[in-house]
Amino acid sequence: MEEKILTRDFGLKNLFKIEVYLRQSGYKAVEKALQQMKPAGILDEVKKANLRGRGGAGFPAGVKWGFVPQKTDKPKYLCVNADEGEPGTFKDRYIMSHNPHLLLEGIIIASFGVGIHSAFIYIRGEYEAIAERLEGAIAEAKAKGFLGKNILGSGFDLDVVVHRGAGAYVCGEETALLESLEGKRGHPRLKPPFPASIGLFQCPTVINNVETLANIPFIILKGADWFVKKGLPKDGGTRIFGVSGMVKNPGIYELPLGTNLRKIIFEAAGGMKDGKTLKAVIPGGMSAPILRADEIDLAMDFDSLAGAGSMLGSAAVIVIDEETPILEVLKAVAKFYSHESCGQCTPCRIGTSWINKIVGRIAAGKGEKDDLDAIIRLAENIKGKTLCPLGDAAALPILSICRKFKLELEGHLSR
Amino acid sequence: MVKIFIDDRELEVSEGLTILRAAEGAGIPIPHFCYHPAFAPEGSCRMCLVEIEGLPKLELACSTVVREGMKVHTASEKVIEARKAVLEFLLAEHPLDCPICDKAGECKLQDYFEAYGFFESQFKESKEKREKKVRISQNLILDRERCILCTRCVRFLNEITRTQDAGVLDRGIHSEIAIYESEFIDNNYAGNLAELCPVGAITDTDFRFKTRAWFLVKKESICPLCSRGCNIFVDFHPGFARIPMAQRVYRIRARENPDVNQFWICDFGRYHYSYLDQGRQDKILLKKQGRDTELSWEKALLIITEKIKSLFLFKKRSRVGVVLNTWLTNEELFLADKIFRQELSVENIYVVDPPSEKGDCFLLTEERTPNSRGLKEIGLPGLTLDLGKLAAQTDLLLIFGSFLVDRFNLADIKIAFDRIGTKILFTAHKSALDSLVDVVVPTQLIAEKSGSLSNVIGKVQSFSPALYNSSGLPEWKLLLDLAKELKVNYKYFWQLNSPQAILREMGREIPFFK
Repeated sequence: MEEKILTRDFGLKNLFKIEVYLRQSGYKAVEKALQQMKPAGILDEVKKANLRGRGGAGFPAGVKWGFVPQKTDKPKYLCVNADEGEPGTFKDRYIMSHNPHLLLEGIIIASFGVGIHSAFIYIRGEYEAIAERLEGAIAEAKAKGFLGKNILGSGFDLDVVVHRGAGAYVCGEETALLESLEGKRGHPRLKPPFPASIGLFQCPTVINNVETLANIPFIILKGADWFVKKGLPKDGGTRIFGVSGMVKNPGIYELPLGTNLRKIIFEAAGGMKDGKTLKAVIPGGMSAPILRADEIDLAMDFDSLAGAGSMLGSAAVIVIDEETPILEVLKAVAKFYSHESCGQCTPCRIGTSWINKIVGRIAAGKGEKDDLDAIIRLAENIKGKTLCPLGDAAALPILSICRKFKLELEGHLSR
Repeated sequence: MVKIFIDDRELEVSEGLTILRAAEGAGIPIPHFCYHPAFAPEGSCRMCLVEIEGLPKLELACSTVVREGMKVHTASEKVIEARKAVLEFLLAEHPLDCPICDKAGECKLQDYFEAYGFFESQFKESKEKREKKVRISQNLILDRERCILCTRCVRFLNEITRTQDAGVLDRGIHSEIAIYESEFIDNNYAGNLAELCPVGAITDTDFRFKTRAWFLVKKESICPLCSRGCNIFVDFHPGFARIPMAQRVYRIRARENPDVNQFWICDFGRYHYSYLDQGRQDKILLKKQGRDTELSWEKALLIITEKIKSLFLFKKRSRVGVVLNTWLTNEELFLADKIFRQELSVENIYVVDPPSEKGDCFLLTEERTPNSRGLKEIGLPGLTLDLGKLAAQTDLLLIFGSFLVDRFNLADIKIAFDRIGTKILFTAHKSALDSLVDVVVPTQLIAEKSGSLSNVIGKVQSFSPALYNSSGLPEWKLLLDLAKELKVNYKYFWQLNSPQAILREMGREIPFFK
């Protein structure tokens, strides 16, 4: 059932080395793009492929690139979002550690397509070994002439720099990432202006997730039509699902977009661990609203999940079994967002902390009758009213947990 | 221009304007904490959220630019609920110590709670404990529990003073405003922070615990302490029976004027207000052989005019000397020029000002008087004073201001003054000069009288009395009385019966004052 494109060669020994990668027809996409295609052609191909962003929001990558002004006297930048902070998500680390050159190929083609000569990989600080691997790969690519000046004689120059983050979840939000990359406090910016017009160092900037860029070489080599066929018409390609929690075989599974969630859990990941019963699934990283066990007959794509009141997010599937008290899940979510709120805007800074304090009190056995209503009211007051998406990321899962598991949670409150 | 609708009111507003500005221009207030017109929108307090037809979420009024046909609702149920929610969040972690907070009465959090809140607190948890008394500058104290993290202070120090003294440390609920360890904010504009703070997080030790905001009367004036002419508010105690009137003025605050001082004043102007109350002359005194006799203004005027008349009678016109200064208003300098130089043909007109000091390249100028530009534009050729020459050629000296003591050694002044027959001093403050003259006449300060000043960039700014002073007389009045008593050009001076009338006449004669 797996459809391996990005992860096809992951089993290969030393794939991260450029000699091995070249033997797997590596950098062929770069050769094709730089030698046979024009930037506009690349943009068209990616637009036609309906490649939607793999970071979480699912914004079409080609459209995003198209927002960057063609003619500008400022330099343009590409920032690769490798912050991967969403709890439950561990797909990008696989791509970067197993196949760093695939990402580099994506970076080179994207940069060529948009007219960028400096790219930054913003990688989460904990991924130190992976950062070193990326730096090794960049050095190899440079030595082979795939990076640096006049790549493959095309006249196109590109430098890639790896920048390590300092441990804030919010720096995965694209504008906070830019601030952090500029050496400032990682606070999200007010939008508009959007990074495509005013981004890194006030210059036009493209920000793409690692997995998004890793798809680009295949779109270039095999064409947009092929890519769309691998997924859904409006949502091309495959997705790397990271399945964790109470399943027999947690790990990453590359599957076509639109694969049924029940199949992912019970077939790909081998079903529930130790014969436990499924209770709930968080389908797209912690910020996605929770699904009950009876709601998992769902196609895993952006639109289907949105229709079910949740979201595909980073495609991190967190599986929760019957024995796990839902209060523990709520506690983990509330604590995480309270801890990771950057503190810039009022509803998120105080709201997430307030909710965390109430949940903590409930967990300490001092829950009061109206506590659940209070949490729902506070989360509603955060939802849609914050400066960046972190507020919604906190409010939505909390609301869904409180509403879908009301009875169980009420059991913790004094009557 | 674009056409928009705010609360169903059709408005024509200029392109590029934000909703908040457009609404304020139409008299529709939109509550906000972090937004300040001096800075780019920050969008972090979330208080200014408004409803825009066709958009699913509430949008920021402070940063959203108006578009043709946009329909904005600033008072819909959704908007009011959102404001309530922001207030509930802010107040949940607020110490609510208004009874001991100096901002009470002029606090945005208080005002907005009154306007949009009035809810019972649902907060059952324990509030975060934070430091309540962090000294951040010579005069400023930061209370982190009261802070709502609007970051106005941080942005002021980044964008206006560019000293970058403060920032936000830590994250989430633990976020707090901080300065560099053991390094105070040290610039001449730090005092603005207490005013800029929308709540009581930054308070000024100069004002702290001394009075309550609602006891103060707030009147407009111009700061006379340098030639910038910053627009200010003088906040003073009108006083009630149980408080003796030793101190009237409790603080000086900046008053917005985009052409002169924007939203700010310097600390020099902010904190040096004691001169308004301390060391004031309050009686007209005749000083004779170490004895002071109180005089009426009519009597004093008679002494002066008799002396002038007798000198003129004996053809000693040239033995009259006048010392002016540029604390005098445009009108006063104009009158002095008209009466002494043009009508009485007095030749020895001197200008004695306090010495210049270092400016700060922003608002504070080197000249420490408010109207040297006015003097220049009137064209009064003020001579530099030489004590020896003065003594040799003067029988009657009319001295405005006590700045001679800033310029000359007191012993030297005494030697010179002993050789001058009659010395009349018009001054607002007591000084060592008092004992060297024959008559002292108390005058009013800029904050107490009407008139206009010409600032360093040539802007003529009119002002009205902020403070009441019954014991001193404004110099324009003294000069007019003198002109009347001497019966010089009666027709001309008769119509100049107020500073406004004098300025109008000046406008007719000197294009600069038009």
